[in-house]
Amino acid sequence: MTTHSTPSGTLIHPSFSIYQISKYASNAITILFMAFVILFTLFPFYWMLKSSFQTPAEITALPPVFFPQQFTLDAYIRAVTLYPIPRYLFNSLFVSTVTAIVATGIASSAAYVIARYKFPGVSIFLGILIFTQLIPGITRFFPIYFLIQGMGLINNYLGLIIAYLGFSVPYSALLLQGYFRSSCPPELEEAAMIDGCTYFTSFIRVMLPVSLPGIVAVSIFTFLGAWNDFLWASQLLNQGQMKTLQVGLRDFMGEAGSLQRINSFMAACVISTIPALILYRFLQRGMVSGLAAGSVKG
Amino acid sequence: MIRKRNIFCYLMVAPAMIIVLALGLYPMLASIRMSFLQYDLLLIPTQGTPFVGLKNYESLLRRPEILQAIMNTLMFVVVVVGGVVSLGLLVASVLSRNFKFRGTIRTLVLASWFIPPIVAAGIWTWMFQPERSPINLLLMWLGVINTPIRFLTDSSWVLGPFSIPFFSLSLVRIWNGLPFTTTFIMAGLQSIPAEIYEAAEIDGASGIQRFFLITLPMLRPVLAILITLLAIGGIGHFETNYVMTNGGPKGLTNVLAVTAYNEAYTQYRFDIAASLANIILVFTGIIGFFYVRQQVKERI
Repeated sequence: MTTHSTPSGTLIHPSFSIYQISKYASNAITILFMAFVILFTLFPFYWMLKSSFQTPAEITALPPVFFPQQFTLDAYIRAVTLYPIPRYLFNSLFVSTVTAIVATGIASSAAYVIARYKFPGVSIFLGILIFTQLIPGITRFFPIYFLIQGMGLINNYLGLIIAYLGFSVPYSALLLQGYFRSSCPPELEEAAMIDGCTYFTSFIRVMLPVSLPGIVAVSIFTFLGAWNDFLWASQLLNQGQMKTLQVGLRDFMGEAGSLQRINSFMAACVISTIPALILYRFLQRGMVSGLAAGSVKG
Repeated sequence: MIRKRNIFCYLMVAPAMIIVLALGLYPMLASIRMSFLQYDLLLIPTQGTPFVGLKNYESLLRRPEILQAIMNTLMFVVVVVGGVVSLGLLVASVLSRNFKFRGTIRTLVLASWFIPPIVAAGIWTWMFQPERSPINLLLMWLGVINTPIRFLTDSSWVLGPFSIPFFSLSLVRIWNGLPFTTTFIMAGLQSIPAEIYEAAEIDGASGIQRFFLITLPMLRPVLAILITLLAIGGIGHFETNYVMTNGGPKGLTNVLAVTAYNEAYTQYRFDIAASLANIILVFTGIIGFFYVRQQVKERI
C-alpha cells in the first residue's frame, strides 16, 4: 500500500487523500452517467413492450400506467388481423434476404480482386466505389424510380431488390476489400495455385472460407439496411399486400394513429424489431473488429 | 499469364461495376439533368420536358420555406452529429475499460442499434404524446415543469432554427445513432496501444488529462471519418422527420429530403424535387471531397 505525503511532510492515510476522494467521485459520476445512458437507450424499448401488452382502456388512462395491470396479447392478435402484418413480414424478409445474398456475392468477388491484384484500372474502380457511396439516397431516388417504372417493376419484388443493390453493393465491396486484406495472407492462395487451383477456384476454396465471419457480418449489415429502409419501399412497393413491414407500419401509424389502437401499433413495432435484435446478437462478437478492419484502417 | 489474370479480374469486377454505374453514377447525372428541365408530371403530356436552365433553382431560392429547410438540414446535422459523437466518446471510453458485467452493459447500451427508423419514430411519437408522455410525467413530478411539454407541436418558442420539435427530433436521431457511433469509436480506441496509457499513469496523468492528451489526439483520424460519414448520412436524412412531423409545425422540422419527397409525390414536381436533391448532393460533395481524397490516398 502506498502513502502520500502532504507538502508539510506529514503522512496521511491513502483513503483520505484528495487523489482517492477524487477517484471515488469520478467513479460515482461514471456510474451515474452510465445509468442515465442505459435508461436513455432502454426506456423506449420498455415503453414499446409494456404498451403492446396493455388494454385500450389502460393505455388511454391518465396519468399513464407504467406497469401493465391486465397483461394481454389482444394487441398482437388485432395487429395481425387488422393489417396483413404476416404478409408484410414475409415481403420484408424475402426482399432483404435476396438483397443480402446477391449483394454479398457481387461485392465479395469485386472486393477480392481489388484487394489482391494490381490490374489496370483498379484504382479508378476503387475511386468510383468510394464516390458512389457518397451520393445521397434521395439524389438517386427520383431517376431510379423512373428507371424501375420504365422496366415495369413497380410493385414487384425485383424492382425494390435492384434499387437496394445500388447502395448495398458499393458499401459491402468497400467493407469486404478492407477485410480481405487483413483476414487472409496472400501466401495461402499462392500455395493453392501451385497445387493446381485457378484464380477463381482459389477465391472460392481459399478466400471465401477463410473470410466467412467477415462475409457473414457484411451480409447481415446489408440485410438490416434493406430491412430498415422506408424511403425506397414507400414508392417501389406500396400497393395492397405488396408492402414491406416499414411501409405497413407507417400506414398503421397514420390511419390507426388513434389512441385506442396504439397498443396494436406498438405490437406491430415489436414484431418488426425482432429480426434486428436476433441479428444484432449474431453480430456482437464480430462487429467491432469487422468495422475496424473495414472502415477504420481501410 | 498476366493477360489471363487481368481478364479474370475484369470478370469479377464487372457485375459490381455495372451496378455502380447504373444505380449510382447514372441516377446522379440524371438527377442533375432533370433539375434543368421542366419536369412537372401533370404538364408532361401537353408540354413535354423543355429545358429551363437554372429556373428551378432560382424559384427555390426565392421561397422562404426552402431557405428555412436548408438551414434546418444543416443545423440538424450540427446538433445530431455533435450530440451523438460527444455522447459516443464518453460511452465508448467507459465501455473500453475493464469492469464487472462489461459485456452485459455493452449489449444493453448498444441494443437500439438496428431498430428500424420507422419503429424508433413510432415509439418516440408515442412517448412524446403530451398527456401520456412518461417524460412529462417525470419532469412534472420533479417539479421542473408545470404544464406538459408539447414535444412535436409546440411552435411558441423559436430561436433561429431551434425549437422544441427541432430538439425532440434531434433526440430521436441521437438515440438511433448512438450505438453505431459508440461501436465505431470503440474500434478506434482498440487501436491505441495500452502502453501509452500506462506510461501516462506512471507520470501521474489524471483520467481527464489522459482523455484530452492521449485519447482525443490519437482518435482524430477515426473521428474525422466518423464525423464525415455521419454528416453525409445526416444531410440526406429522411425517415425521422418525415414520419414524426412531416416537416411541421410551421416548417420547424422541415429538411431538404422531406421537402424533395413531398414535392415529387404530392405536387408531382419532379424538377423541383431533383433540384432539392441536388442541393443535398452539393453539401454532401463538399464534405465528401476531403473524405475521398484521404481514403484514396490511404487505400492505394
